[in-house]
Amino acid sequence: MHALAYWITGPGVYLAVGVFALGLGYRLYQWRRMAASPMRLGIFPKPPPGAKVLRIVADTLAFPQLAEVNPSLWVAAIVFHVALLGVFVGHLHLLGRFPGQLEEMMTANASLVGGTMGVLWALAALYLLIRRFKTPYKEISTPEDYLLLLLILGAVVMGDHLRFFGHVDVGVYQEYIRSLYAFRPELPAALATSSVKWSFVVHILLANLLLIYLPFSKLVHFIGAFFTNGIRRG
Amino acid sequence: MDETTKQKLLDVMKSKLNRQLLYYLDVCAKCGACKDACHIYRATGKAELVPSHRADLLRRLYRRHFTSAGRVFPSLYEATDLSDQLLDEMYQAAFTCTGCRRCMVYCPFGIDLTWVIGVEKAMLSAVGKVPEELNMLADAAIEKGNSIDLYREIMQDQIRSLEPELRELTGMPDATIPMGKKGARVLYVALAGTGSILPPAVIFNLAGEDWTLSEFEAANYGYFLGDTARAARIAERIVNEAKELGVEEVVLTECGHAYRVMKHLDEVWSKQKFPFKVLSVFEPWARYLKEGRVKVLRPIAEPATYHDPCQLGRNGGIYEEPREVVKAICTDFRDMTPNREKNWCCGGGGGLVAQTDLEEFRADTGLVKAEQVRATGARIAATPCENCRLQLALLNERYHLGVEVVAVTDLLVRAVAPGALRKPEQEPRETAREQEASA
Ligand code: SF4
Ligand code: SF4
Repeated sequence: MHALAYWITGPGVYLAVGVFALGLGYRLYQWRRMAASPMRLGIFPKPPPGAKVLRIVADTLAFPQLAEVNPSLWVAAIVFHVALLGVFVGHLHLLGRFPGQLEEMMTANASLVGGTMGVLWALAALYLLIRRFKTPYKEISTPEDYLLLLLILGAVVMGDHLRFFGHVDVGVYQEYIRSLYAFRPELPAALATSSVKWSFVVHILLANLLLIYLPFSKLVHFIGAFFTNGIRRG
Repeated sequence: MDETTKQKLLDVMKSKLNRQLLYYLDVCAKCGACKDACHIYRATGKAELVPSHRADLLRRLYRRHFTSAGRVFPSLYEATDLSDQLLDEMYQAAFTCTGCRRCMVYCPFGIDLTWVIGVEKAMLSAVGKVPEELNMLADAAIEKGNSIDLYREIMQDQIRSLEPELRELTGMPDATIPMGKKGARVLYVALAGTGSILPPAVIFNLAGEDWTLSEFEAANYGYFLGDTARAARIAERIVNEAKELGVEEVVLTECGHAYRVMKHLDEVWSKQKFPFKVLSVFEPWARYLKEGRVKVLRPIAEPATYHDPCQLGRNGGIYEEPREVVKAICTDFRDMTPNREKNWCCGGGGGLVAQTDLEEFRADTGLVKAEQVRATGARIAATPCENCRLQLALLNERYHLGVEVVAVTDLLVRAVAPGALRKPEQEPRETAREQEASA
């Protein structure tokens, strides 16, 4: 168990970050090396010249069209992504101290906001997963769609478990991250001996897998959406 | 499937791989939202007709042959190799899509599924797996271009026979339908048959326009086949004619896809800049009305609605001019909800109306449109595109809508031509009135 935990939380993390960065770079390269069709294939009416970029950003971040045609999916998707963003910002806190005032704010609201976001994210992921078992989503889904949701759901639930049952001080996680920075990865004693060690290791494992898989999955939409929305407004 | 066919299909696919296509294949989250935007899925509820699924057939091939992840873990993406079955599924998926691009309007990523489906069509075209009717129509159009001398005579006879009626309608004894007039300001391109020649001729004459009629028809069946080479060849005849005559403007008949092809696509296909402007016929119509060159003599009182053809509206950018025309001549105009880029497709586009075996399918999938028309309470449904009109007429019958389906220009002629008018499409309205009376 100890060796396994080490490989997952140590070298595994480097591998995941490496594959993620290189894979994503490769994906971008694959896209951009292809010739783009010279046609302007956007939907009419075209946005006024100055408003194009704004529309593309709004389309990508809020996808208002979806709200019109499928409100429940829109709510789920918004909750999912807002929670993702919240959790992402929350995790930044583990990477180091925020400048000045921000650090205090982050610490003050960490458990409330972090907890809420974590739970919302899990709920939204669960909703999206269950939805896939219904017709016609069942028929149009491929294993990839389930796998991604399961990875996300698993990682989030483990994270929530750490937050609600872990009682591990944020400083301990920061220490772990610092050990990663120093290329001497090590689980701090407080974590290694805690009762939530297993959920921490599984959390990292799933997050690693997700990072590794991301560039080769449909999740590249987090970048691609800007391009595709650009074509629609073009 | 033999190896040569397989290779041929993959070669076509490879030649169509470009940046857009990769985005679309990689980014789709299979969220399924597009199904709610598609009239075909709405009416049928069939999973294989979910828009993203139509594109997924190509995606499977893409994963299998063009991505490393798909080669290593094919089952993760349900990546598959080419097979007759896949090709059959593709045929079903590609040639039952009207190409309306309503799904693109609502997709959270703005994915253009018709672009992906277009690649499927191109592959099917390459191995001759296309609806026979579309194929014949496309070939016939090219053939007509090749033996134009023969057709020119037939056409000229037809046109001369229209002129007495033209003079009667306009009340102008010298009204004509000029053809091949060098130096004319406007080249007007109609559809085959006289239906889209006489009414515009009335308006052009009333407005005193310096115009000439094209020898070619505007419809482009190559485009429906996803065969850009053939589509470009069909469009080329008109481009050459316009250059030869030295016109300033090429005005396309009401037809949606013909306008889109000339206005937005052909310049890129044929890698040139046209020395003339491309207009939809509504642009001059609206202008003549505004300038008072054509006057409304008999306003139409019956409630009227306007259907935005997909190719003219969200894919062509013509929303306002036809509305201006209908509003100018009809006192009770009622827009559909939703309208403009959100308007529902009638269900006849993409060459579907030309495929006789799809009539039942079209009638079924037009349900959404039929309800939308009924909700306006209109008695007149004006719409530019001939495909749309054929389809709306089918829906009118099938769902007892009690509307008169009419071309906008026909309606315009009715309101502005001084001469007596014939109303060939009287019947549906009569039935509606009878129904009302008996109710
Ligand atoms: S709405 Fe867009 S992203 Fe969602 S399944 Fe359809 S094409 Fe894919
Ligand atoms: S283009 Fe129109 S018909 Fe085709 S899948 Fe999209 S919504 Fe349906």
